[in-house]
Amino acid sequence: MVSDAAIIVESLLKSFPPARSGWRALLQPFEKPSVLALAGISFEVRPGEAMALLGANGAGKSTLLRILATLILPTKGRAQIAGHDAVRDPRAVRRQLGYHAGSDVGFYARLTCRENLRFFGSLNQLSGAPAAQRIEQLAEQFHLEEALERQVRTLSSGTMQRLSLARALLHQPRVLLLDEPTRSLDAIGAAEFRRFLKSEILRRGETTLLFASHALSEIELLADRIAVIDAGRLLACGTLTELKQRTGEASLEDAFLRLTGRAPDLAGNGAAE
Amino acid sequence: MTGTLRELWLFFRRDLCIARTYRTVFLFEAIEALFGVALFYYVARFVDSPQLRNALPQSESYFAFSLIGFVFLDYLNAAMDSFDRSLMEARDTGTLEHLLVTQTSLPVILAGSAIYPFAASTLRIAVYLAWGAVLFGFPLRDANWLAVAAVLVATLLAFSGLGILSASYLLLFKRGNPAKWFFLGLSSVAAGVLFPISVLPDWLQFVARLNPVTYALEAIRAALLGGAGFHAVWRPLLVLLFFAAVLLPLSMAVFAWALRRTKTTGTLMHR
Repeated sequence: MVSDAAIIVESLLKSFPPARSGWRALLQPFEKPSVLALAGISFEVRPGEAMALLGANGAGKSTLLRILATLILPTKGRAQIAGHDAVRDPRAVRRQLGYHAGSDVGFYARLTCRENLRFFGSLNQLSGAPAAQRIEQLAEQFHLEEALERQVRTLSSGTMQRLSLARALLHQPRVLLLDEPTRSLDAIGAAEFRRFLKSEILRRGETTLLFASHALSEIELLADRIAVIDAGRLLACGTLTELKQRTGEASLEDAFLRLTGRAPDLAGNGAAE
Repeated sequence: MTGTLRELWLFFRRDLCIARTYRTVFLFEAIEALFGVALFYYVARFVDSPQLRNALPQSESYFAFSLIGFVFLDYLNAAMDSFDRSLMEARDTGTLEHLLVTQTSLPVILAGSAIYPFAASTLRIAVYLAWGAVLFGFPLRDANWLAVAAVLVATLLAFSGLGILSASYLLLFKRGNPAKWFFLGLSSVAAGVLFPISVLPDWLQFVARLNPVTYALEAIRAALLGGAGFHAVWRPLLVLLFFAAVLLPLSMAVFAWALRRTKTTGTLMHR
C-alpha cells in the first residue's frame, strides 16, 4: 500500500530486557526482551497535521517517539518518516526530522546560543551563509535575538526550551517530534511555548507535528488528532470531538479516563471497568 | 570523505571554542608541567650514575629517559580515554540524544570528539619537553621530528582501537574502562616507561615484547634522543601499524554491534 503520510507507524512492537541492578546489570545487554512497551501500534499522520500522543507514564509514548527518532530499534513492525524507514534508512529519516525533548535540552553550556545552533546546524548539513541566515530568522521568530551571543548556561529554562525548538527546526525538517515539550516550564513559559508552536509552526502548515504530552489543555490547543495509548496499546485515535462522541464524555480528561478504564463510576467509588 | 573531514573539523572547533572559555586552565597546566619536569629532573640527579646511563638505551640520562616515558604514558592515556570520555560527557550533559538525531553518524561523532583531546595531549607533550629543554638541559638538538611525528601518529592509530573498544564497553555497561586499566597498568610495569625492560624477569620481558607500548617507547626515544630516522624505527613502526590494522577494524565492528545492542535494549542514553 502506497501512502503519502508524513509518519507511518505499522504494527509497531517493542520489548525491552528487564531492568537489572548490581552485578546482574552486566548481563542486561544480553538478556532477552520480555518487558512489553509497545504492543503492535498502527497509525498515520498526514503532512501538516498535528497529532498528540496521550497516555499515562509508562504508556509507551516516549518509546514510540524514540523509535521514530531512530534512537531505539523496534522489535517488530514498521516506522516511517516522510517515506523513509527508521530502521533501514535512519540517516534519511534524520534528514526529515526535528526532535525536542522537554526533559533534556542538551546544549553546550559554555558556548553561546549562536555557536550551539551553528554547530548543530552544521551536523545537519546546514552551514555558511544559509545557516547564518536561518539562525537569524529563527532567532527573530522565537524572540532569541538578544540571547544569541550569550552562553547557554546564562539562559532561563524557558529561553532554553525555545532555543531547543529552534535547533529542532534549523534544517527545516518536514516532521517535528516533541516529547513533553513544556515539561520543565512554568505556567507562563508553557503558555508562551504553546503560543509559539501554534502561531509560528502549525499555522504555516509546512511541518507535521507528533508530540507527547500530559497537559490536556496543550493537546486541545495544538492537536488536530489525538492518539490515546495505554500499556503500549493504541486505544483510540481521532479528533477531540470524535473522542468525546465515542466515549460520551464532555471533556478530554473524562474521555481519556473512560478510554483507559480509569473513569470514576457514578457513585465515585474508584475506576470503572 | 570531504564531508566526513568537515564534520570532524566541526567537533574540533566546538571543543576549541569550549576550551577557550577556560583560559586559565592552559596556564595552570603549563605550571603543572613545569613541576612535573622538575620532579623528574631532581629524581634523575639523585639516581644518575655512569652505570645507570650504560644500562639505558642510547646511553641517555635518566632524566631524558624517564621524562619521555612519563609524557608518552600521558599520550597513551589520551588515546585510550578520549573516546569513552567524549561519549560519557555527551551522555551526562544531555547532548548525546541531540547529536544522534542529526545526520552525522555516531562513529564520526565519537572520532570528532576525540580529536581535541589528542591535540591537547600532543601540545602537553610539547610543553613538557620545552620546559625540559629550556630549564633542565633535555637534549632536543638531535631529534628527528619527522620520525617522532610518525611514531606518535602510529601510536595514536594503534591505541585508538583500544579507545574505541573502551567506548563500546561504556555503551553496554555504562561505567568503567577495562582496556585502559589493563594496558596502562601493564605498560607502567612492562613497557620501559621509567626503567628499561632489561631489569624485568624473563617472563615479564616476554610480556613487554607483546606490548605495543614497548615498541612505541623504543621508537620515540630513538627518534627524539638518538635522532633516528625511518630506516632505524621502521620495525617498531611496523609493529604499531600492525596493531592498528588489527584493532581498528575489530573495534569498529564491536562498536557497531554495541550501538545496535543498546538501541535494541533502549539503554543508549542510560547513565
